[in-house]
Amino acid sequence: MTKLLAVIERDLKKFKRNPVVLAMSILMPMIYLVILGNSFQGKLTDLPLAVVSQDQGPYAKRLMEYLMAVQAGPRTFLVLPMDDQRAAVDGVRAGKYKAALIIPPDFSRRVAVSGKPDIGLFLDNTDSISADTIRNLIDAALLSIRSEYVPVREPTGEPLLRDINLYGKVDYYQSLVPGVVIMAIFLGTLTTGAFNLVMDRFLGIEESYLLTPLSKGHIVGGLIISGLSITTVNAILIFMMSVLITGIPFSKGVLNFFPILLVVLLTTLCLLSLMFAIMGRIGHPRIVGVLSGFLNVILFFPSGAVYPVASFPGWLKSFARINPEAYAVDALKSILFKNAGMGNILGDLTFLALFTVAMMSLSILTFKRTL
Amino acid sequence: MLRDGKAITVSGITREFGPATAVDGISFEVDRGEFFGFLGPNGAGKTTLIRMLTTLLKPTSGQAIVSGFDVAEDPARVRKHIGVVPQAMTSDLDLTGRENMDIYGRFYGIRSGERKERIEYLLEMVGLAPRADDLVATYSGGMRRRLEIARVLVHKPALLFLDEPTIGLDPQSRRVVWELLKKLMQGDSITIFLTTHYMEEAELLCGRVAIIDAGKIIAMGSPAALKAGIPGNDIVTLKVGGLTDEIIGAMEKLPFVHKVSREEDSLAASVDNGAENLPQLIDVVRASGGAIVAASVHEQSLEDVFIHYTGKSIREEEARKVSFLIGAGMPQRLGR
Ligand SMILES: Nc1ncnc2c1ncn2[C@@H]1O[C@H](COP(=O)(O)OP(=O)(O)O)[C@@H](O)[C@H]1O
Ligand SMILES: [Mg+2]
Repeated sequence: MTKLLAVIERDLKKFKRNPVVLAMSILMPMIYLVILGNSFQGKLTDLPLAVVSQDQGPYAKRLMEYLMAVQAGPRTFLVLPMDDQRAAVDGVRAGKYKAALIIPPDFSRRVAVSGKPDIGLFLDNTDSISADTIRNLIDAALLSIRSEYVPVREPTGEPLLRDINLYGKVDYYQSLVPGVVIMAIFLGTLTTGAFNLVMDRFLGIEESYLLTPLSKGHIVGGLIISGLSITTVNAILIFMMSVLITGIPFSKGVLNFFPILLVVLLTTLCLLSLMFAIMGRIGHPRIVGVLSGFLNVILFFPSGAVYPVASFPGWLKSFARINPEAYAVDALKSILFKNAGMGNILGDLTFLALFTVAMMSLSILTFKRTL
Repeated sequence: MLRDGKAITVSGITREFGPATAVDGISFEVDRGEFFGFLGPNGAGKTTLIRMLTTLLKPTSGQAIVSGFDVAEDPARVRKHIGVVPQAMTSDLDLTGRENMDIYGRFYGIRSGERKERIEYLLEMVGLAPRADDLVATYSGGMRRRLEIARVLVHKPALLFLDEPTIGLDPQSRRVVWELLKKLMQGDSITIFLTTHYMEEAELLCGRVAIIDAGKIIAMGSPAALKAGIPGNDIVTLKVGGLTDEIIGAMEKLPFVHKVSREEDSLAASVDNGAENLPQLIDVVRASGGAIVAASVHEQSLEDVFIHYTGKSIREEEARKVSFLIGAGMPQRLGR
């Protein structure tokens, strides 16, 4: 135990004596937040849209045809016809669909007769880009029905779109906060833990530590614990700063501190173990530099932090399924914006825990206690 | 534990790196309380040997028992009983001298009170007490080396390994380290195993020396015995105007001359009783038509032993190249 503590204390002391690293690890994720918040306006595809049509009338059929045409053309959404309205809305809540469109039984009649037709659109507005896109397209669809089928002499037959946000309002900036926290964790785990091992090796200092009675477990465990404490503190600081900057209201979600801390801790542990598994044998910091850019791209962008996972092509979607950052982003979004309890993020936490155990075993297995 | 009284027993130890053999079937023994040295040029295999003896490298074949335990089978036990100062500087620059020692002491599980006392004593011994709370980054090379020697003594090892402890140090610092090592030998009953490519270091410190070249031991014994083992006991160096092969031939015919080697306009003869026989040598050179420009006599050194067995000298030039690399912070792996 004293040995483990000595490894940790040495690492923390060295970190403390490098204030530039300290400042950078706080500043960089914040800059990311600003840059990302202004640079992503891509076109979305394959957003899963549940459609429940309770109307057999001509206008409902027309609307369906229009949606199918969008699916066949620009492929913005994937139309999933359903019967059960409840199941559709629950599906949105569970993150299975980006939106549910409910066409009520009297839709066609109310378009034809001069009454105002109603239509229900349940949006997953925690993902503001895809929510906006879907809303605009449905709007356009309803307009087209009117001009084609509704005679001019019936100008009152204007379909009314009423969209219902399932959760409190989330703007684009705010929706980036989970991603920025994950980014902070990524940068933290990259510059602590295994990286310190690489530096010691590069400077030739490692040799003197291998000569002591320290075990593999002391060395790997100690570096992981010190990296965990540094990175967690950092990530929580950045979380609080970005909540303030983007003005996420202090609702139940933000104040749900224990689950947030748990996700941050587990994600940090997970990425630290991953870094150890990858960098455990590297002897030059330049290789880490090259790797870091690569790892950031393959972990962060397919995580759903800036762009919905649903719009990825199949192969990338499969990758997202084994990407720990995707689970971390999902868990944080659920807590922050959907008021999810521990029960809802259990799946994410389980994956992160399993991934951690696998990577930790791999890194202790591959770590050599000889030169 | 050390039933047979041997600190180190090595038999047929070999280490290959791909097709190259760095250490080639070496066998030797070191008694407890001995100051034993390995002397050899760069690339001879000293660091590889010391790394195998200190559990950092696995031998390709052969066996080594260190402090009573097999290095391949029981590396953790071996590590507990030895102190090792590697060739490269290994102290943490971002920590103070005292912190370096304290962290190290904790790696050995030494309790706080005992540790503090021991660290105070060692810092005093190596003369670093006044600078103990400065960052190691502000230390000179000599100070850093002394700190590293003190650091591996925290747990009172019975066996100390030093890999080229004075490489890259200025002559002044080198002498300070030598004094320190001599003092160590007088105190506790400690065994020291040292490698070096400086013959004066081996000659000054070591009770017994093994000369190593290209991974093999070529001679072993006390410095005096090694020198007695080669013909002649003095080296006469003559700078001769108009030096010819005839002059060398004439010298080699003298009964007290064993060997003459030539380098440009100088010759070096290994002879018996150099001082008494110098006038006769000068006469022979003059008689053969040479003019004496300068003459010197010195006792044979381990360098001459090395030259005798290998036909080449332990080149100082190469050593300078290495110390430059180490000074520039090159990792041990590159700065062999
Ligand atoms: N890790 C290694 N990989 C390949 N070759 C090595 C390695 N370590 C040492 N060698 C080679 O082994 C030989 C002995 O090196 P070393 O033990 O460092 O010599 P010394 O310490 O006497 O200068 C050299 O030829 C060196 O190039
Ligand atoms: Mg060496």
